[in-house]
Amino acid sequence: MTTLWMDVAWRRGAFALQAALRARPDEVTALLGPSGSGKSSLLRLAAGLARPDEGRIGLGEKLWLDRAAGVFVPPQRRGVGMVFQDYALFPHRSVAANVGFGVARRQRRVQVAVWLRRLGLAHLADRLPHQLSGGERQRVALARALAMEPQVLLLDEPFSAVDPRLRQALRELLAEVLAETGRPTLLVSHDLDDVRYLADTVGVMVAGRLHCLGPRAAVFDDPGTREAAEVLGWRNFLPVEGVAGCEVVGPWGRLRLPEPVPADVAWLGVRGERLRLGSPRGEGLKGRVLRITDLGAVRELSCRLDCGLMLHVRRPWDEPLPVAGSEVGIQLPLPALRPLRVKVGGRPHRPCSVVGEWQAKGR
Amino acid sequence: MAGLDLAPLWLTVKLAALTVVLLFVVGLPLAWWLARTSSRWRPLVEAVTALPLVLPPVVLGFYLLLLLGAEGPLGQWWMAFTGRPLAFSFTGLVIASCLYSLPFVVQPLQTAFSQLDRRTVEAAWTLGASRFKTFFTVVLPQARSGVLTAAVLGFAHTLGEFGVALMVGGNIPGETQVVSIAIYEHVEALAYDQANAYALLLLGVSLLVLWLVYGIQRRDQGLR
Repeated sequence: MTTLWMDVAWRRGAFALQAALRARPDEVTALLGPSGSGKSSLLRLAAGLARPDEGRIGLGEKLWLDRAAGVFVPPQRRGVGMVFQDYALFPHRSVAANVGFGVARRQRRVQVAVWLRRLGLAHLADRLPHQLSGGERQRVALARALAMEPQVLLLDEPFSAVDPRLRQALRELLAEVLAETGRPTLLVSHDLDDVRYLADTVGVMVAGRLHCLGPRAAVFDDPGTREAAEVLGWRNFLPVEGVAGCEVVGPWGRLRLPEPVPADVAWLGVRGERLRLGSPRGEGLKGRVLRITDLGAVRELSCRLDCGLMLHVRRPWDEPLPVAGSEVGIQLPLPALRPLRVKVGGRPHRPCSVVGEWQAKGR
Repeated sequence: MAGLDLAPLWLTVKLAALTVVLLFVVGLPLAWWLARTSSRWRPLVEAVTALPLVLPPVVLGFYLLLLLGAEGPLGQWWMAFTGRPLAFSFTGLVIASCLYSLPFVVQPLQTAFSQLDRRTVEAAWTLGASRFKTFFTVVLPQARSGVLTAAVLGFAHTLGEFGVALMVGGNIPGETQVVSIAIYEHVEALAYDQANAYALLLLGVSLLVLWLVYGIQRRDQGLR
Protein backbone atom coordinates (compact mmCIF):
# COMPACT_ATOMS: atom_id res chain seq x y z
CA MET A 1 0.00 0.00 0.00
CA THR A 2 1.58 3.25 -1.15
CA THR A 3 0.74 6.76 -0.10
CA LEU A 4 0.91 9.74 -2.44
CA TRP A 5 2.62 12.59 -0.66
CA MET A 6 3.59 16.09 -1.61
CA ASP A 7 4.97 19.20 0.03
CA VAL A 8 5.28 21.93 -2.55
CA ALA A 9 5.43 25.65 -3.15
CA TRP A 10 4.56 27.11 -6.55
CA ARG A 11 4.29 30.73 -7.57
CA ARG A 12 2.88 32.26 -10.75
CA GLY A 13 2.72 36.04 -10.66
CA ALA A 14 0.62 37.12 -7.71
CA PHE A 15 -0.68 33.61 -7.04
CA ALA A 16 1.21 31.51 -4.53
CA LEU A 17 0.40 27.88 -3.86
CA GLN A 18 1.73 26.15 -0.80
CA ALA A 19 0.52 22.83 0.42
CA ALA A 20 1.55 19.60 2.07
CA LEU A 21 -0.67 16.56 1.89
CA ARG A 22 -0.77 12.79 1.98
CA ALA A 23 -3.34 10.72 0.11
CA ARG A 24 -3.59 7.21 1.51
CA PRO A 25 -4.10 4.23 -0.80
CA ASP A 26 -7.36 2.93 0.62
CA GLU A 27 -9.05 6.32 0.61
CA VAL A 28 -10.46 9.02 -1.59
CA THR A 29 -8.91 12.33 -0.62
CA ALA A 30 -10.94 15.31 -1.77
CA LEU A 31 -9.65 18.83 -2.18
CA LEU A 32 -12.49 21.26 -1.84
CA GLY A 33 -12.21 24.92 -2.67
CA PRO A 34 -13.50 27.78 -4.78
CA SER A 35 -12.26 28.09 -8.35
CA GLY A 36 -8.84 29.69 -8.49
CA SER A 37 -7.85 28.33 -5.09
CA GLY A 38 -5.09 26.24 -6.64
CA LYS A 39 -6.57 22.80 -6.19
CA SER A 40 -6.33 21.92 -9.88
CA SER A 41 -2.74 23.19 -9.92
CA LEU A 42 -1.99 20.79 -7.11
CA LEU A 43 -3.31 17.91 -9.26
CA ARG A 44 -1.16 19.04 -12.20
CA LEU A 45 1.87 19.06 -9.94
CA ALA A 46 1.04 15.54 -8.77
CA ALA A 47 0.71 14.36 -12.37
CA GLY A 48 3.99 15.98 -13.41
CA LEU A 49 2.27 18.34 -15.87
CA ALA A 50 3.72 21.29 -13.98
CA ARG A 51 6.74 21.66 -11.75
CA PRO A 52 6.70 23.42 -8.40
CA ASP A 53 9.32 26.03 -7.55
CA GLU A 54 10.32 24.03 -4.52
CA GLY A 55 9.31 20.91 -2.71
CA ARG A 56 9.07 17.17 -3.00
CA ILE A 57 6.48 14.79 -4.42
CA GLY A 58 6.47 11.03 -4.24
CA LEU A 59 4.53 7.82 -4.12
CA GLY A 60 5.52 5.65 -1.17
CA GLU A 61 9.27 5.06 -1.41
CA LYS A 62 9.46 6.40 -4.97
CA LEU A 63 10.57 9.99 -5.37
CA TRP A 64 8.79 11.74 -8.25
CA LEU A 65 10.11 15.19 -7.71
CA ASP A 66 12.70 16.84 -5.54
CA ARG A 67 13.59 20.38 -6.59
CA ALA A 68 16.61 20.55 -4.30
CA ALA A 69 18.07 17.27 -5.62
CA GLY A 70 17.02 17.94 -9.24
CA VAL A 71 14.79 14.87 -9.45
CA PHE A 72 11.88 14.96 -11.89
CA VAL A 73 9.96 11.93 -13.11
CA PRO A 74 7.95 12.92 -16.23
CA PRO A 75 4.21 12.25 -16.37
CA GLN A 76 4.78 9.31 -18.73
CA ARG A 77 6.58 7.36 -16.01
CA ARG A 78 4.42 8.24 -13.00
CA GLY A 79 1.53 5.93 -13.81
CA VAL A 80 -1.13 8.46 -12.87
CA GLY A 81 -4.61 8.06 -14.27
CA MET A 82 -5.99 11.53 -14.73
CA VAL A 83 -9.56 12.51 -15.50
CA PHE A 84 -9.52 16.05 -16.84
CA GLN A 85 -12.22 18.60 -16.19
CA ASP A 86 -13.54 18.60 -19.76
CA TYR A 87 -12.30 15.02 -20.20
CA ALA A 88 -9.71 15.82 -22.92
CA LEU A 89 -10.80 12.78 -24.94
CA PHE A 90 -8.99 12.23 -28.23
CA PRO A 91 -11.61 13.54 -30.69
CA HIS A 92 -10.30 11.53 -33.64
CA ARG A 93 -10.29 8.18 -31.86
CA SER A 94 -13.17 5.87 -31.13
CA VAL A 95 -14.30 5.19 -27.58
CA ALA A 96 -12.44 1.88 -27.59
CA ALA A 97 -9.26 3.51 -28.95
CA ASN A 98 -9.47 6.22 -26.30
CA VAL A 99 -9.83 3.67 -23.53
CA GLY A 100 -7.01 1.52 -24.91
CA PHE A 101 -4.56 4.37 -25.47
CA GLY A 102 -2.65 3.87 -22.24
CA VAL A 103 -2.72 0.07 -22.25
CA ALA A 104 0.14 -2.11 -23.47
CA ARG A 105 -0.69 -3.69 -26.83
CA ARG A 106 -0.82 -7.25 -25.50
CA GLN A 107 -3.43 -6.53 -22.85
CA ARG A 108 -5.30 -3.91 -24.81
CA ARG A 109 -8.22 -5.94 -26.11
CA VAL A 110 -8.97 -7.54 -22.78
CA GLN A 111 -8.56 -4.36 -20.73
CA VAL A 112 -10.68 -2.30 -23.10
CA ALA A 113 -13.46 -4.89 -23.07
CA VAL A 114 -13.35 -5.14 -19.28
CA TRP A 115 -13.56 -1.40 -18.68
CA LEU A 116 -16.12 -0.68 -21.35
CA ARG A 117 -18.38 -3.28 -19.79
CA ARG A 118 -17.61 -2.12 -16.26
CA LEU A 119 -18.70 1.44 -17.05
CA GLY A 120 -21.60 0.48 -19.29
CA LEU A 121 -19.96 1.66 -22.51
CA ALA A 122 -19.73 -1.60 -24.47
CA HIS A 123 -22.43 -0.57 -26.96
CA LEU A 124 -20.56 2.69 -27.70
CA ALA A 125 -17.14 1.18 -28.46
CA ASP A 126 -17.02 2.40 -32.07
CA ARG A 127 -18.44 5.88 -31.53
CA LEU A 128 -16.38 9.03 -31.68
CA PRO A 129 -16.39 11.32 -28.62
CA HIS A 130 -18.50 14.00 -30.31
CA GLN A 131 -21.27 11.46 -30.79
CA LEU A 132 -21.58 10.90 -27.04
CA SER A 133 -23.58 12.63 -24.33
CA GLY A 134 -21.82 14.45 -21.49
CA GLY A 135 -22.31 11.59 -19.06
CA GLU A 136 -20.99 9.06 -21.58
CA ARG A 137 -17.90 11.14 -22.24
CA GLN A 138 -17.30 11.35 -18.53
CA ARG A 139 -17.42 7.56 -18.29
CA VAL A 140 -15.04 7.19 -21.25
CA ALA A 141 -12.58 9.53 -19.54
CA LEU A 142 -12.85 7.49 -16.37
CA ALA A 143 -12.46 4.20 -18.26
CA ARG A 144 -9.41 5.55 -20.08
CA ALA A 145 -7.76 6.53 -16.81
CA LEU A 146 -8.60 3.23 -15.09
CA ALA A 147 -7.75 0.90 -17.99
CA MET A 148 -4.06 1.79 -17.68
CA GLU A 149 -4.20 0.46 -14.11
CA PRO A 150 -2.72 3.60 -12.63
CA GLN A 151 -0.89 3.74 -9.35
CA VAL A 152 -2.72 6.94 -8.48
CA LEU A 153 -6.04 8.27 -9.70
CA LEU A 154 -6.45 12.03 -10.11
CA LEU A 155 -9.91 13.46 -10.76
CA ASP A 156 -10.23 17.12 -11.70
CA GLU A 157 -13.81 18.33 -11.18
CA PRO A 158 -15.05 15.08 -12.70
CA PHE A 159 -18.72 16.06 -12.76
CA SER A 160 -18.61 19.77 -13.45
CA ALA A 161 -19.49 19.39 -17.13
CA VAL A 162 -22.24 16.86 -16.50
CA ASP A 163 -25.94 17.62 -16.33
CA PRO A 164 -26.94 17.90 -12.63
CA ARG A 165 -29.53 15.16 -13.09
CA LEU A 166 -26.82 12.70 -14.12
CA ARG A 167 -24.35 13.70 -11.46
CA GLN A 168 -25.77 11.56 -8.71
CA ALA A 169 -25.79 8.41 -10.86
CA LEU A 170 -22.19 9.05 -11.90
CA ARG A 171 -21.12 9.66 -8.30
CA GLU A 172 -22.60 6.33 -7.29
CA LEU A 173 -20.86 4.57 -10.19
CA LEU A 174 -17.56 6.21 -9.32
CA ALA A 175 -17.91 5.36 -5.63
CA GLU A 176 -18.49 1.73 -6.60
CA VAL A 177 -15.44 1.63 -8.90
CA LEU A 178 -13.21 3.37 -6.38
CA ALA A 179 -14.23 1.11 -3.52
CA GLU A 180 -12.40 -1.86 -5.02
CA THR A 181 -9.12 -0.17 -5.89
CA GLY A 182 -6.28 -0.04 -3.43
CA ARG A 183 -4.74 3.10 -4.86
CA PRO A 184 -4.71 6.66 -3.62
CA THR A 185 -7.35 8.79 -5.27
CA LEU A 186 -7.18 12.55 -5.25
CA LEU A 187 -10.42 14.29 -6.14
CA VAL A 188 -10.68 18.01 -6.79
CA SER A 189 -14.08 19.62 -6.61
CA HIS A 190 -15.98 22.69 -5.57
CA ASP A 191 -19.17 20.68 -5.07
CA LEU A 192 -19.97 19.68 -1.47
CA ASP A 193 -22.12 16.78 -2.67
CA ASP A 194 -19.19 15.22 -4.57
CA VAL A 195 -17.22 15.28 -1.37
CA ARG A 196 -20.02 13.97 0.83
CA TYR A 197 -20.53 11.05 -1.52
CA LEU A 198 -17.02 10.09 -2.42
CA ALA A 199 -14.42 11.35 0.02
CA ASP A 200 -13.02 9.74 3.12
CA THR A 201 -10.52 12.50 3.74
CA VAL A 202 -11.14 16.16 2.98
CA GLY A 203 -8.81 19.08 2.53
CA VAL A 204 -10.06 22.61 2.10
CA MET A 205 -8.05 24.93 -0.14
CA VAL A 206 -8.42 28.69 -0.12
CA ALA A 207 -6.17 31.09 -2.03
CA GLY A 208 -3.38 28.58 -2.57
CA ARG A 209 -3.30 27.27 0.99
CA LEU A 210 -4.52 24.00 2.40
CA HIS A 211 -6.57 25.15 5.39
CA CYS A 212 -7.26 21.76 6.85
CA LEU A 213 -6.97 18.11 6.00
CA GLY A 214 -8.58 15.29 7.89
CA PRO A 215 -11.39 12.75 8.03
CA ARG A 216 -14.46 14.10 6.31
CA ALA A 217 -16.72 14.16 9.37
CA ALA A 218 -14.08 15.90 11.49
CA VAL A 219 -13.39 18.58 8.87
CA PHE A 220 -17.09 19.20 8.27
CA ASP A 221 -17.57 19.47 12.05
CA ASP A 222 -14.61 21.77 12.76
CA PRO A 223 -13.05 23.50 9.75
CA GLY A 224 -10.57 25.49 11.86
CA THR A 225 -10.63 28.72 9.86
CA ARG A 226 -13.40 31.01 8.72
CA GLU A 227 -12.35 30.66 5.07
CA ALA A 228 -12.57 26.88 5.22
CA ALA A 229 -15.93 27.08 7.01
CA GLU A 230 -17.30 29.29 4.23
CA VAL A 231 -16.20 26.76 1.60
CA LEU A 232 -18.08 24.10 3.58
CA GLY A 233 -21.25 26.17 3.47
CA TRP A 234 -21.18 27.71 6.93
CA ARG A 235 -22.87 31.09 7.14
CA ASN A 236 -22.95 32.04 10.82
CA PHE A 237 -19.88 33.77 12.18
CA LEU A 238 -19.83 35.67 15.47
CA PRO A 239 -16.88 38.07 15.64
CA VAL A 240 -14.62 37.64 18.67
CA GLU A 241 -13.15 40.74 20.27
CA GLY A 242 -11.58 39.28 23.36
CA VAL A 243 -10.61 35.91 24.78
CA ALA A 244 -9.73 34.99 28.36
CA GLY A 245 -9.53 31.29 29.12
CA CYS A 246 -13.01 29.94 28.39
CA GLU A 247 -14.56 33.41 28.15
CA VAL A 248 -15.27 34.93 24.74
CA VAL A 249 -16.49 38.49 24.20
CA GLY A 250 -17.94 40.12 21.09
CA PRO A 251 -20.42 42.79 20.02
CA TRP A 252 -23.17 40.18 20.45
CA GLY A 253 -22.36 39.59 24.15
CA ARG A 254 -20.29 37.28 26.26
CA LEU A 255 -20.08 33.48 26.39
CA ARG A 256 -18.40 30.92 28.56
CA LEU A 257 -17.37 27.89 26.46
CA PRO A 258 -16.82 24.39 27.87
CA GLU A 259 -13.14 24.44 26.90
CA PRO A 260 -10.41 27.12 26.90
CA VAL A 261 -10.28 29.08 23.65
CA PRO A 262 -6.98 29.80 21.84
CA ALA A 263 -6.01 33.46 21.94
CA ASP A 264 -5.88 33.90 18.14
CA VAL A 265 -9.50 32.96 17.57
CA ALA A 266 -11.26 35.61 15.52
CA TRP A 267 -14.70 34.07 15.04
CA LEU A 268 -17.12 31.62 16.56
CA GLY A 269 -18.74 29.64 13.81
CA VAL A 270 -21.90 27.59 14.02
CA ARG A 271 -23.90 25.64 11.48
CA GLY A 272 -27.41 26.92 10.85
CA GLU A 273 -28.87 23.49 11.72
CA ARG A 274 -27.49 23.72 15.25
CA LEU A 275 -29.18 27.02 16.13
CA ARG A 276 -32.42 26.91 18.15
CA LEU A 277 -35.27 29.36 18.08
CA GLY A 278 -36.88 30.62 21.27
CA SER A 279 -39.07 33.35 22.63
CA PRO A 280 -37.76 36.91 22.23
CA ARG A 281 -38.08 37.26 26.01
CA GLY A 282 -36.13 34.07 26.79
CA GLU A 283 -32.40 33.41 26.84
CA GLY A 284 -30.06 33.89 23.86
CA LEU A 285 -29.56 36.53 21.20
CA LYS A 286 -32.42 38.85 20.25
CA GLY A 287 -33.28 39.69 16.68
CA ARG A 288 -35.89 39.93 13.96
CA VAL A 289 -36.73 37.49 11.14
CA LEU A 290 -35.99 39.16 7.78
CA ARG A 291 -37.00 36.37 5.42
CA ILE A 292 -37.65 32.66 5.27
CA THR A 293 -36.24 30.55 2.41
CA ASP A 294 -37.57 27.09 1.60
CA LEU A 295 -34.58 24.79 0.89
CA GLY A 296 -36.55 21.54 0.60
CA ALA A 297 -35.87 19.44 3.66
CA VAL A 298 -35.13 22.53 5.72
CA ARG A 299 -36.24 26.13 5.85
CA GLU A 300 -33.74 28.89 6.48
CA LEU A 301 -34.62 31.92 8.58
CA SER A 302 -32.37 34.89 7.96
CA CYS A 303 -32.41 37.00 11.14
CA ARG A 304 -30.83 40.33 11.96
CA LEU A 305 -29.69 40.55 15.55
CA ASP A 306 -30.08 43.73 17.58
CA CYS A 307 -26.29 44.19 17.38
CA GLY A 308 -26.54 44.25 13.56
CA LEU A 309 -25.16 40.75 12.91
CA MET A 310 -26.94 38.33 10.54
CA LEU A 311 -27.63 34.73 11.54
CA HIS A 312 -29.12 32.04 9.30
CA VAL A 313 -31.10 29.45 11.23
CA ARG A 314 -32.02 26.20 9.52
CA ARG A 315 -34.98 24.22 10.84
CA PRO A 316 -36.72 21.08 9.54
CA TRP A 317 -39.44 21.91 7.03
CA ASP A 318 -42.25 20.64 9.27
CA GLU A 319 -41.30 22.66 12.35
CA PRO A 320 -43.62 25.60 13.06
CA LEU A 321 -41.73 28.85 12.46
CA PRO A 322 -42.32 32.49 13.36
CA VAL A 323 -43.42 34.65 10.44
CA ALA A 324 -41.11 37.08 8.67
CA GLY A 325 -40.88 40.37 10.53
CA SER A 326 -41.49 38.92 13.99
CA GLU A 327 -39.02 39.15 16.85
CA VAL A 328 -37.20 35.99 17.91
CA GLY A 329 -34.65 34.75 20.39
CA ILE A 330 -31.84 32.57 19.04
CA GLN A 331 -30.08 30.15 21.33
CA LEU A 332 -26.44 29.26 20.77
CA PRO A 333 -25.84 25.67 21.85
CA LEU A 334 -22.35 25.88 23.39
CA PRO A 335 -21.08 22.45 22.18
CA ALA A 336 -21.89 23.45 18.57
CA LEU A 337 -19.77 26.62 18.57
CA ARG A 338 -16.44 26.27 16.78
CA PRO A 339 -13.60 28.70 17.41
CA LEU A 340 -12.25 29.78 14.00
CA ARG A 341 -8.99 31.48 13.14
CA VAL A 342 -8.77 34.04 10.37
CA LYS A 343 -6.46 32.11 8.14
CA VAL A 344 -3.56 29.74 8.02
CA GLY A 345 -0.24 31.30 9.03
CA GLY A 346 3.20 31.17 7.38
CA ARG A 347 5.04 28.07 6.35
CA PRO A 348 4.89 25.42 7.70
CA HIS A 349 1.17 25.97 7.79
CA ARG A 350 -0.56 25.52 11.09
CA PRO A 351 -2.87 22.55 10.78
CA CYS A 352 -6.30 22.66 12.27
CA SER A 353 -6.69 20.54 15.38
CA VAL A 354 -7.95 17.60 13.37
CA VAL A 355 -4.83 17.18 11.26
CA GLY A 356 -2.54 16.53 14.20
CA GLU A 357 -4.54 13.57 15.39
CA TRP A 358 -5.12 12.20 11.95
CA GLN A 359 -1.50 12.34 10.88
CA ALA A 360 -0.40 10.68 14.10
CA LYS A 361 -2.76 7.82 13.31
CA GLY A 362 -1.79 7.69 9.65
CA ARG A 363 1.90 7.01 10.17
CA MET B 1 0.02 23.66 -79.39
CA ALA B 2 1.48 20.53 -80.88
CA GLY B 3 4.95 19.56 -79.76
CA LEU B 4 4.69 21.38 -76.45
CA ASP B 5 7.83 20.88 -74.39
CA LEU B 6 6.62 19.33 -71.12
CA ALA B 7 10.02 19.61 -69.40
CA PRO B 8 9.23 22.92 -67.64
CA LEU B 9 6.02 21.43 -66.25
CA TRP B 10 7.67 18.31 -64.85
CA LEU B 11 10.46 20.40 -63.43
CA THR B 12 7.95 22.67 -61.71
CA VAL B 13 5.99 19.79 -60.20
CA LYS B 14 9.20 18.10 -59.07
CA LEU B 15 10.39 21.34 -57.49
CA ALA B 16 7.08 21.98 -55.73
CA ALA B 17 6.82 18.41 -54.39
CA LEU B 18 10.40 18.39 -53.10
CA THR B 19 9.92 21.81 -51.54
CA VAL B 20 6.81 20.69 -49.65
CA VAL B 21 8.53 17.58 -48.32
CA LEU B 22 11.54 19.58 -47.11
CA LEU B 23 9.33 22.28 -45.66
CA PHE B 24 7.43 19.71 -43.60
CA VAL B 25 10.68 18.44 -42.13
CA VAL B 26 11.55 21.98 -41.04
CA GLY B 27 8.04 23.36 -40.61
CA LEU B 28 6.49 20.75 -38.30
CA PRO B 29 8.90 21.28 -35.41
CA LEU B 30 9.08 25.03 -36.07
CA ALA B 31 5.29 25.43 -36.09
CA TRP B 32 4.93 23.23 -32.98
CA TRP B 33 7.48 25.37 -31.18
CA LEU B 34 5.82 28.61 -32.29
CA ALA B 35 2.39 27.37 -31.22
CA ARG B 36 3.47 26.42 -27.72
CA THR B 37 6.41 28.54 -26.65
CA SER B 38 6.19 31.56 -24.41
CA SER B 39 9.76 32.56 -25.28
CA ARG B 40 10.40 36.25 -25.84
CA TRP B 41 12.09 35.32 -29.13
CA ARG B 42 8.85 34.04 -30.60
CA PRO B 43 7.77 37.36 -32.21
CA LEU B 44 11.13 37.66 -33.95
CA VAL B 45 11.03 34.09 -35.23
CA GLU B 46 7.46 34.64 -36.39
CA ALA B 47 8.48 37.84 -38.19
CA VAL B 48 11.37 36.12 -39.97
CA THR B 49 9.06 33.27 -40.96
CA ALA B 50 6.48 35.70 -42.36
CA LEU B 51 9.02 37.85 -44.21
CA PRO B 52 8.55 36.16 -47.61
CA LEU B 53 4.86 37.15 -47.45
CA VAL B 54 5.60 40.85 -47.64
CA LEU B 55 9.02 41.01 -49.31
CA PRO B 56 8.94 41.41 -53.11
CA PRO B 57 10.13 38.05 -54.48
CA VAL B 58 12.85 39.89 -56.40
CA VAL B 59 14.32 41.25 -53.16
CA LEU B 60 14.31 37.81 -51.58
CA GLY B 61 15.81 36.38 -54.75
CA PHE B 62 18.51 39.05 -54.83
CA TYR B 63 19.72 38.28 -51.31
CA LEU B 64 19.49 34.56 -51.97
CA LEU B 65 21.63 35.08 -55.03
CA LEU B 66 24.23 36.86 -52.90
CA LEU B 67 24.10 34.00 -50.39
CA LEU B 68 24.10 31.10 -52.87
CA GLY B 69 26.25 32.68 -55.59
CA ALA B 70 29.85 31.76 -56.35
CA GLU B 71 31.04 34.54 -54.02
CA GLY B 72 28.40 33.87 -51.33
CA PRO B 73 29.18 31.94 -48.15
CA LEU B 74 26.74 29.09 -48.86
CA GLY B 75 27.71 28.99 -52.53
CA GLN B 76 31.42 28.73 -51.70
CA TRP B 77 30.80 26.05 -49.12
CA TRP B 78 28.70 24.05 -51.58
CA MET B 79 31.32 24.47 -54.27
CA ALA B 80 34.04 23.20 -51.93
CA PHE B 81 31.91 20.15 -51.06
CA THR B 82 30.44 19.16 -54.42
CA GLY B 83 32.54 21.00 -56.96
CA ARG B 84 29.43 22.54 -58.48
CA PRO B 85 27.87 25.99 -58.15
CA LEU B 86 24.66 26.38 -56.17
CA ALA B 87 23.21 29.37 -57.99
CA PHE B 88 21.54 28.60 -61.31
CA SER B 89 21.16 24.94 -60.32
CA PHE B 90 18.13 22.85 -59.37
CA THR B 91 19.48 22.44 -55.83
CA GLY B 92 19.79 26.19 -55.44
CA LEU B 93 16.25 26.56 -56.73
CA VAL B 94 14.97 24.09 -54.12
CA ILE B 95 16.66 26.02 -51.31
CA ALA B 96 15.23 29.29 -52.60
CA SER B 97 11.73 27.81 -52.96
CA CYS B 98 11.84 26.50 -49.40
CA LEU B 99 12.50 29.98 -48.04
CA TYR B 100 9.99 31.53 -50.41
CA SER B 101 7.14 29.18 -49.43
CA LEU B 102 8.06 28.79 -45.74
CA PRO B 103 5.20 30.92 -44.32
CA PHE B 104 2.64 29.10 -46.46
CA VAL B 105 3.52 25.85 -44.72
CA VAL B 106 4.38 27.09 -41.22
CA GLN B 107 1.39 29.37 -40.65
CA PRO B 108 -1.43 26.87 -41.30
CA LEU B 109 0.42 24.33 -39.15
CA GLN B 110 0.94 26.84 -36.36
CA THR B 111 -2.73 27.82 -36.44
CA ALA B 112 -3.82 24.18 -36.33
CA PHE B 113 -1.45 23.40 -33.46
CA SER B 114 -2.51 26.37 -31.38
CA GLN B 115 -6.19 25.52 -31.80
CA LEU B 116 -5.57 22.05 -30.50
CA ASP B 117 -6.85 21.23 -27.01
CA ARG B 118 -3.61 21.18 -25.04
CA ARG B 119 -5.07 18.85 -22.49
CA THR B 120 -5.36 16.04 -25.05
CA VAL B 121 -1.58 16.27 -25.27
CA GLU B 122 -1.25 16.18 -21.50
CA ALA B 123 -3.71 13.30 -21.32
CA ALA B 124 -1.53 11.34 -23.75
CA TRP B 125 1.50 12.01 -21.55
CA THR B 126 -0.24 10.78 -18.40
CA LEU B 127 -1.27 7.69 -20.38
CA GLY B 128 2.41 6.95 -20.95
CA ALA B 129 2.89 8.17 -24.53
CA SER B 130 6.30 9.71 -25.26
CA ARG B 131 6.45 13.20 -26.69
CA PHE B 132 7.26 11.71 -30.08
CA LYS B 133 4.38 9.24 -30.01
CA THR B 134 2.03 11.95 -28.74
CA PHE B 135 2.95 14.19 -31.65
CA PHE B 136 2.19 11.56 -34.26
CA THR B 137 -0.83 9.87 -32.67
CA VAL B 138 -2.57 12.79 -30.97
CA VAL B 139 -1.33 16.09 -32.37
CA LEU B 140 -1.02 15.43 -36.13
CA PRO B 141 -4.33 13.58 -36.55
CA GLN B 142 -6.15 16.44 -34.85
CA ALA B 143 -4.29 18.98 -37.00
CA ARG B 144 -4.85 17.07 -40.25
CA SER B 145 -6.82 19.80 -41.95
CA GLY B 146 -4.00 22.26 -41.14
CA VAL B 147 -1.47 19.74 -42.47
CA LEU B 148 -3.41 19.42 -45.70
CA THR B 149 -3.76 23.17 -46.11
CA ALA B 150 -0.04 23.61 -45.48
CA ALA B 151 0.88 21.00 -48.08
CA VAL B 152 -1.40 22.46 -50.73
CA LEU B 153 -0.52 26.09 -50.12
CA GLY B 154 3.18 25.26 -50.08
CA PHE B 155 2.82 23.28 -53.31
CA ALA B 156 0.65 25.82 -55.10
CA HIS B 157 2.75 28.77 -54.03
CA THR B 158 5.91 27.10 -55.33
CA LEU B 159 4.17 26.34 -58.63
CA GLY B 160 3.57 30.02 -59.19
CA GLU B 161 7.01 31.24 -58.15
CA PHE B 162 8.63 33.62 -60.62
CA GLY B 163 10.80 36.38 -59.18
CA VAL B 164 12.86 34.21 -56.90
CA ALA B 165 13.20 31.50 -59.53
CA LEU B 166 14.45 34.02 -62.07
CA MET B 167 17.02 35.54 -59.71
CA VAL B 168 18.37 32.31 -58.26
CA GLY B 169 17.64 29.75 -60.95
CA GLY B 170 17.80 31.73 -64.13
CA ASN B 171 16.42 30.17 -67.25
CA ILE B 172 18.25 26.91 -67.99
CA PRO B 173 15.92 24.48 -69.78
CA GLY B 174 15.63 21.15 -67.96
CA GLU B 175 17.56 22.45 -64.97
CA THR B 176 15.93 25.63 -63.71
CA GLN B 177 13.39 26.68 -66.33
CA VAL B 178 10.08 26.43 -64.47
CA VAL B 179 6.70 26.95 -66.11
CA SER B 180 6.26 30.58 -65.12
CA ILE B 181 9.64 31.44 -66.61
CA ALA B 182 8.85 29.48 -69.76
CA ILE B 183 5.64 31.49 -70.07
CA TYR B 184 7.52 34.74 -69.64
CA GLU B 185 10.03 33.72 -72.29
CA HIS B 186 7.34 32.77 -74.80
CA VAL B 187 5.49 36.04 -74.22
CA GLU B 188 8.72 37.97 -74.80
CA ALA B 189 9.12 36.08 -78.06
CA LEU B 190 5.45 36.88 -78.89
CA ALA B 191 4.72 33.12 -78.99
CA TYR B 192 1.32 33.57 -77.33
CA ASP B 193 0.09 30.09 -78.29
CA GLN B 194 2.93 28.41 -76.41
CA ALA B 195 2.53 30.78 -73.46
CA ASN B 196 -1.19 30.07 -73.37
CA ALA B 197 -0.62 26.31 -73.36
CA TYR B 198 1.62 26.52 -70.29
CA ALA B 199 -0.64 29.04 -68.59
CA LEU B 200 -3.68 26.81 -69.13
CA LEU B 201 -1.82 23.82 -67.73
CA LEU B 202 -0.84 25.79 -64.64
CA LEU B 203 -4.37 27.06 -64.21
CA GLY B 204 -5.75 23.53 -64.56
CA VAL B 205 -3.32 21.97 -62.10
CA SER B 206 -3.91 24.73 -59.54
CA LEU B 207 -7.68 24.46 -59.79
CA LEU B 208 -7.56 20.69 -59.52
CA VAL B 209 -5.38 20.75 -56.42
CA LEU B 210 -7.50 23.37 -54.65
CA TRP B 211 -10.69 21.52 -55.56
CA LEU B 212 -9.28 18.37 -54.05
CA VAL B 213 -8.39 20.18 -50.83
CA TYR B 214 -11.76 21.79 -50.34
CA GLY B 215 -13.39 18.46 -51.10
CA ILE B 216 -11.33 16.70 -48.45
CA GLN B 217 -11.91 19.48 -45.95
CA ARG B 218 -15.63 19.25 -46.52
CA ARG B 219 -15.60 15.53 -45.85
CA ASP B 220 -13.52 16.21 -42.76
CA GLN B 221 -15.98 18.69 -41.37
CA GLY B 222 -18.74 16.15 -41.93
CA LEU B 223 -16.86 13.82 -39.61
CA ARG B 224 -16.65 16.34 -36.82
